[in-house]
Amino acid sequence: MDFNWLIVLVGEVLVAVGVLCDVIAAIGLLRFPNFYVRLHAATVGTIGGAFVPLIGASLIAIGCEFLGGYRWFMAGSALITAILILILAPAGSHALARAAYRSRAAIVQPKIVDHLEEDRVEDRGE
Amino acid sequence: MSIEAHVTTFILVMFPIYILAFILYAIRALKGPTIPDTVLAIDAMTYDLAAFLVVLAIFFRSPVLTPVAIVLALWVYALDIYVAKYLEAKEMGG
Amino acid sequence: MTPETLTLGVLAVLGLLSMIATYLAVIERDMLKAILFSAIQSTSYAFIYYLLMAPDIVLVYVPVAIGLYPAIILFLIKKTERFESEE
Repeated sequence: MDFNWLIVLVGEVLVAVGVLCDVIAAIGLLRFPNFYVRLHAATVGTIGGAFVPLIGASLIAIGCEFLGGYRWFMAGSALITAILILILAPAGSHALARAAYRSRAAIVQPKIVDHLEEDRVEDRGE
Repeated sequence: MSIEAHVTTFILVMFPIYILAFILYAIRALKGPTIPDTVLAIDAMTYDLAAFLVVLAIFFRSPVLTPVAIVLALWVYALDIYVAKYLEAKEMGG
Repeated sequence: MTPETLTLGVLAVLGLLSMIATYLAVIERDMLKAILFSAIQSTSYAFIYYLLMAPDIVLVYVPVAIGLYPAIILFLIKKTERFESEE
């Protein structure tokens, strides 16, 4: 009984942290000036806003006895989704950022320095 | 207060905050100036939607609803890779 | 506030969002952006089906409407032109 309460409370704290990260990431995605800065906010939204609450939902599902015997199925499914998102979200963001840089689809508006562009120009010149 | 009432109240409190976050993501996805902005907003929105679906499955007390989240996460990753491949193939000239 | 009221309100918001996305996809000149608006509409429809307690329909709808349909249209756009011409 006490163990169920403990697990449910820990899971609720994780879900609350995830919701907070979610709202912060949404506001950041709306307010930041260009694509490469928005990438940072989207990373907060995917890892902090999807991975953490999925672990929390898995813990809540273990602790809730009113769900019946299928709660183990729910917990395992949520855990697998969390691990998949932990692998897939950074890979997708990286592929998108690489494609956006190489095809010049996203223009950096307040641009101070771009070392990658200098290196690529040097490689082409030599 | 039993565990059931506690969890239900907690998820009811979390519900409007999730919806607010989804509306903000959707605004960025609809008005994003460039293509990668839109894809990034759709990505973040759908991964968070997958998390929200699992929380809702606990709220509705039906464990059958859970595997939808796996399918959603995997196919949105596929959309991401398609668009990245299209953008990069245009630069290579292929 | 009962859960039913909350669910109906969310359904209304999602219907409005999918309507806006469909309108933007119809009037858009850039085909790639139109595909992405259509993906937003598919995501909100998937959530609507989920809230209406039809997980089997979601399991079929998500691969077709988010996965295969943008892939096929992207291959088509790669073969032809990306921007729609002005008459």
